[in-house]
Amino acid sequence: MSFLESLWVGLSEARRHLGQTLLSLVGLVLGTGSIVTVLALFGGQTKITQDFLAEVGGLGTVIVRDREQSEHPTARDLASDRLTYGDARYLKDRATTLAAVAPGWFDRLEYQVGAVHFTGPVIGTTRDYARINDIRPLAGRYLSDLDVRRKARVIVLGWKYADSLFLDPERALGELVKLRGKNYTVVGVMEREEFYFAVWSGNALEYRNERAYIPITTAFIQYTGDDEHLSFLTLKARSPTGARAAEAQVGTMLYLRHGVEDFDITPSGGGANSDADFFMLFNFIFLVVGVVSLVAGGVVIANILLASVVERVREFGTRMAIGATGFQIFAHVLAQVVVIAVLGGLIGLGLGTALTGTVAHFMKMPVAVTVVIAEVALGTSLGVGFVAGFYPALRAARLSPVEALRYG
Amino acid sequence: MPLIEARGLTKVYRLGRVDVPALRGIDLEVHEGEYVAITGPSGSGKSTLMHILGCLDSPTSGSYRLDGRDVSGLRGRALAHVRNRKVGFVFQTFNLMPRMTTDENVALPLQYRGGISRRARLRRARALLERLGLGERIGHRPDELSGGELQRVAVARALIGEPAILLIDEPTGNLDSKAGAEVLKTFREVHDAGNTIVLVTHDPNVAAEAARTIRLVDGEVAA
Repeated sequence: MSFLESLWVGLSEARRHLGQTLLSLVGLVLGTGSIVTVLALFGGQTKITQDFLAEVGGLGTVIVRDREQSEHPTARDLASDRLTYGDARYLKDRATTLAAVAPGWFDRLEYQVGAVHFTGPVIGTTRDYARINDIRPLAGRYLSDLDVRRKARVIVLGWKYADSLFLDPERALGELVKLRGKNYTVVGVMEREEFYFAVWSGNALEYRNERAYIPITTAFIQYTGDDEHLSFLTLKARSPTGARAAEAQVGTMLYLRHGVEDFDITPSGGGANSDADFFMLFNFIFLVVGVVSLVAGGVVIANILLASVVERVREFGTRMAIGATGFQIFAHVLAQVVVIAVLGGLIGLGLGTALTGTVAHFMKMPVAVTVVIAEVALGTSLGVGFVAGFYPALRAARLSPVEALRYG
Repeated sequence: MPLIEARGLTKVYRLGRVDVPALRGIDLEVHEGEYVAITGPSGSGKSTLMHILGCLDSPTSGSYRLDGRDVSGLRGRALAHVRNRKVGFVFQTFNLMPRMTTDENVALPLQYRGGISRRARLRRARALLERLGLGERIGHRPDELSGGELQRVAVARALIGEPAILLIDEPTGNLDSKAGAEVLKTFREVHDAGNTIVLVTHDPNVAAEAARTIRLVDGEVAA
């Protein structure tokens, strides 16, 4: 019997035992469907996360911060100045792996415009900060090298602040904003930054619209008394893939300057968003449901087939009596499973695709069922079918013809 | 040379710790074109002997040559091939596949033989059914047929592979007397066409049809 012939037999068997076939199909369809959906959502989620990383500065961005000092600092710890503006300038001049270096000073200061007071975040930094974080001014300009060199009292507002304080970003330009009593001239307003992980979640980048930027040198001279300690240091590697090399070089250079490893170097975006974590959990639950459905489907199929083998013992005896070999009986039972598994896989794939489309539509997520996902789904379904069908097929094949004919 | 040549066939079944002999040394010869009936009371070993003659089972000892070949030592796959090519079985309960049409049922042994296209198999099956007077039953399912018709479909399935012998088990056991008479007529025609028939029965009227009767008692050939 050729392979095609076996499949034909399997198809006609599946058709003759329609009730069994339908029952077996349900488990396989549900299992395959949910696996397809999960994998597609997972792929979509990965894409969203990548988009988010690109939005917040992309791959290849590295952040350096002070390491928490131990309770019993060593002499070397105490001798180190920790992360300073000097480190930033040194890296900018010497680190060959870096394309940009943005030192950061951070504090919450009192804003005052006319009669409005509030406390909000202020970042002291340099021109490179906009480049590394891929942010652009909507009106006016960002901080310049000249601002930094002249310790200018200029400020660049986040979109939300400009919008709520001056109603119109354009109108904010040239106005004065007081930060802890010191006047600054608004030279720019940043574009509004937005990123949504899903329709129901808020703007994941809203915090970036609620802040202002001033030259880092101005921050030091106005608020720290010339203490040039940095809150963070943001670096950009020359290529997205060069982050590792950059981390290594920066680590070595800072260690040589500090004499102790009192800093932490982390790639940007690592564990940065809880929304993505939430989605991973969601996906995981779906995946478990899918696997459980498939296993349940497999058990159902194995059970149904076993029952059908017992029910058809005489039939198999007859088939053996007219010349079927054990292998042919085995193939006969297994062919039925294979047909059901392929059918279940295909219908499940269709169901999963439909489900994914619905999810994508309502959640506005970039999800898609790829060829790989389709292959995995069909392969899994077929695998479950084989495993479930193997034992019943073996039992049928091992029947003794005489006993099988006497049965029932 | 006889078609069937059995020497000292024994078959012992093991029930728990007790050995139960079903056959105690049977010598048997059947020549080509013969029509032989095997009779005997229940438990005399008729069925066991037929299973061994039909290569469904192997003897515990003794030799069995079928169509010139010693098959008593064959097992599994080899025995399945012998059954497929040399033996045509007609079961007491017919054992047709209920969800297949008559012609599909008849063609089934050729499917297991392999090398014949489905189209050719079904063509041969239909031709054979026509020859046995079942032309208008082609394409029907077994549950649409009468007992006598089912028996003839079973005969057609046994004959499709052109076997050396036709083995028939209690042919009238499941038929009324009219259908039984029809079936016996069919067997006669099949025999007249040159087929060798061995049938097992305890119905003396059926045994009377055969040219020779072998009577078994307690696993031995009665004199």
